[in-house]
Amino acid sequence: MDVFGSFALVLAFICAVYAFGGGIAAIITRHPLLIKSTRQAGMATCCLIFLATFSLEYLFFSDNFSIAYVVSHSNRDLSTFYKVAALWSGQEGSLLFWSFLLAIYVFSVLLTYRNKNGELMPYVGVVMAGVQIFFLTLNNFIESPFKALASPAADGALRLVTAQDGRGLTPLLQYPEMVIHPPNLYSGYTGFTIPFAFALGALLARYPGEKWIHLTRKWTMIAWMFQSMGILLGAHWAYAVLGWGGYWGWDPVENASLLPWLSGTAFLHSVMMQEKRGMMKVWNVWLVFVTFLLCILGTFLTRSGVVSSVHAFANSSIGSWFVGFIVIILLTCFGAYLKNRDYLKSENQLDSIVSRESSFLFNNLILLVACIAVLSGTLFPVFSEWFTGNRISVGAPFFNKVNIPLGLLLLFLTGVGPLLAWRKTSTDSLKRNFGWPLGIGLAAGVIALVFGFRQFYSWVCLILCVFVASTVLLEFYRGAKVIRSRSGASYAASAVELAMRNTRRYGGYIVHMGMVFVFIGLAGAAFNRDIQKDMRQGDKLQIGPYTLVLQGFDTKPERNYTAQRLLVEVLEQNKPTMMLYPEKRKFSTTEENGTMVAIRSTLKEDLYVVFAGMNPDTQLPVVHAYLNPLVKWIWFGGVVVVFGTLVALMPNRRAVLVLSTAPQPVGQAVAHGLPSSVTLREGHD
Amino acid sequence: MTKARSFVACTMLMMFAAAPLLITPVGAEQFSDRTKQVGAKIKCMCKSCDMAAAICSHPGGAFSGPCDTAKMMLGEVDQHIAKGETDEQILQAFAQEYGPIVYTEPPKSGFSLLAWMLPSIYLFLGAGVVILVIFRWRKQTVQPAGSVSGAPGISSELLERARAQASRETQD
Repeated sequence: MDVFGSFALVLAFICAVYAFGGGIAAIITRHPLLIKSTRQAGMATCCLIFLATFSLEYLFFSDNFSIAYVVSHSNRDLSTFYKVAALWSGQEGSLLFWSFLLAIYVFSVLLTYRNKNGELMPYVGVVMAGVQIFFLTLNNFIESPFKALASPAADGALRLVTAQDGRGLTPLLQYPEMVIHPPNLYSGYTGFTIPFAFALGALLARYPGEKWIHLTRKWTMIAWMFQSMGILLGAHWAYAVLGWGGYWGWDPVENASLLPWLSGTAFLHSVMMQEKRGMMKVWNVWLVFVTFLLCILGTFLTRSGVVSSVHAFANSSIGSWFVGFIVIILLTCFGAYLKNRDYLKSENQLDSIVSRESSFLFNNLILLVACIAVLSGTLFPVFSEWFTGNRISVGAPFFNKVNIPLGLLLLFLTGVGPLLAWRKTSTDSLKRNFGWPLGIGLAAGVIALVFGFRQFYSWVCLILCVFVASTVLLEFYRGAKVIRSRSGASYAASAVELAMRNTRRYGGYIVHMGMVFVFIGLAGAAFNRDIQKDMRQGDKLQIGPYTLVLQGFDTKPERNYTAQRLLVEVLEQNKPTMMLYPEKRKFSTTEENGTMVAIRSTLKEDLYVVFAGMNPDTQLPVVHAYLNPLVKWIWFGGVVVVFGTLVALMPNRRAVLVLSTAPQPVGQAVAHGLPSSVTLREGHD
Repeated sequence: MTKARSFVACTMLMMFAAAPLLITPVGAEQFSDRTKQVGAKIKCMCKSCDMAAAICSHPGGAFSGPCDTAKMMLGEVDQHIAKGETDEQILQAFAQEYGPIVYTEPPKSGFSLLAWMLPSIYLFLGAGVVILVIFRWRKQTVQPAGSVSGAPGISSELLERARAQASRETQD
């Protein structure tokens, strides 16, 4: 199967090269058969990548320990569930997985537009094939996952060998979210290839109008949604597995995932300016280019060892390949822009500073400043070493100080932007739209102060969250009221109807609401508390309203590890509430340890209990308990963000006139020019 | 204002006003707040993690939570505090012992100051560009002359374009 997989990868590379070279020839000659054959070569590339990926998975499932990658990342006792995840747990497999996800996107695009947009698609196909060639080069020639296991013999020559068992999967990855977090994040990274291919293709083809924007809107939103899910699932994994009580540590790899999300978010907003007003064409094209570049840069940072990170893959020579690829992309983008920049001439006119257009400009400003600030902070240790010889650390306190004010500004604009009209917003409209939300926000702030809320940023965040939530709810309320007055349906049904009629707008509002929930959760971090104690059986530990009583300690042998488990009874206001079982796992194959945190999660707070291990001095179990307010709001907000994006991806349900046989006064029916038994009411197609 | 509107507004107000009640200061601390605050500004120098001394948890280690190195560093912080030193003096003492890498955030002096200045520079430059763009776009805006009197002369093509544009702009 390893030969089959290798062969499929080589064939995929050849097909991709043909799709790229043949595609360029097809663009020049415009020969229909050549266009068709390059498209089919593109699809064949994808199918071959699928086969190679399934081959590697098969090698994991069949415990084929003659393959070096399988030996390094699996063992016989590893559960089937985690054997799936073993595919992307190392450098070689994760790069193949990247190619696999990219192939899914490319295949979908080639299939969806096989008979459409004939002028544009050859260009798009060439760009996509170019990206695939890069990753297939890595898969085939630099980091092949199908390398056979070899060991030096007595004469010094390498001999192929088969290991009895593998070294197993890193314990930190043996957690359910690790099976879904990387696929989501990678789907985000790879997904941004599609808008990039369309933007570059449209620029090269001088494709008229805003059609490329319409074509890529859904692909961009899908990539953005996966990126959001990937980031939040990664945060939840860090929270539930690493056992340090936090979910975001501004680690370089975390930052790398945030960068394209920030620029992608900016693009999703500014693209509306081009659709509605024909503005910011140059900006949008460059935002897409930058987003894709940041995806590649993030991968480079993760895999090159340039920055130190607990997440990073082992150092390898792969970094120089990424640098080369980034340079090629930059040169191509600049070249295409310089050659065809007149094609991007915008109809830039601004009627008023108080308008939706201005709010989008500032929204883009804040998102991009946050993006560049995170990027420069992440790379600063490298620069400081170059310039001064000393590596200067840039850790979480720096990123928090820089990004919290920016995040709050963005939150403010989240509330303001949607309520401003295109072109110009009148004073009356400002009063009507902002009066109540502003009043409610400020009232919440005053009440918070009265109740002793003294953390400045959390206080401002609370006011802004209330403000933004009010604006969103009022928008739904106003729209639903109009529908209700016509249809007589309930407010809830009218709100659903409203969202379905303009899914993009109201889906966007739901996403904003989700972000409000995320911010509420983030604001809670200012009130985190923790305590650590060596505990004997029967000892008590007090944290907030909870009393933790250590009831026992046991050891539980499992198939792949041995778990040491604490039995902790939780009393709330001295009443027994529940039992928690924090674990420490020792994995036999790797001799490494893993933590399973026990969490009692409510909307108010998380009681987060870690079995820190045995104190080497006292030989007593050490319990580290945290009380983290409002954390659940972050995960809930993530679900709402995804839901809102899915709503925005749905097609609009159009209000149409349908015939009804309800009895109506004669005069009214006549006025419509219809028979008296027929009347008009709102309906849907 | 209708009754329904007032009801919605009051409900929202009450709902959000209750939010602060959810958060109450809690818990006792093993180290003093100040020790933890200072500990959050210095890195644990155990070299097996990249975390602050106050929160070092050694993911994957046999023992999670402040390791011996972190505990020793926090103990040192306690000693400095007992001597009546300021936070700045304590941080400087650690920097002398371990070098500038001990800081979790760059010092606000020398080359490191650049790290702090850059975000502000981006913001001011970006804001400048945005304001410039807004003024340029405002300048380009052409006021349609005699739009009312000229209404009968509008061609059907122009009218159709205007309708399409209005439709686009009011849809989202």
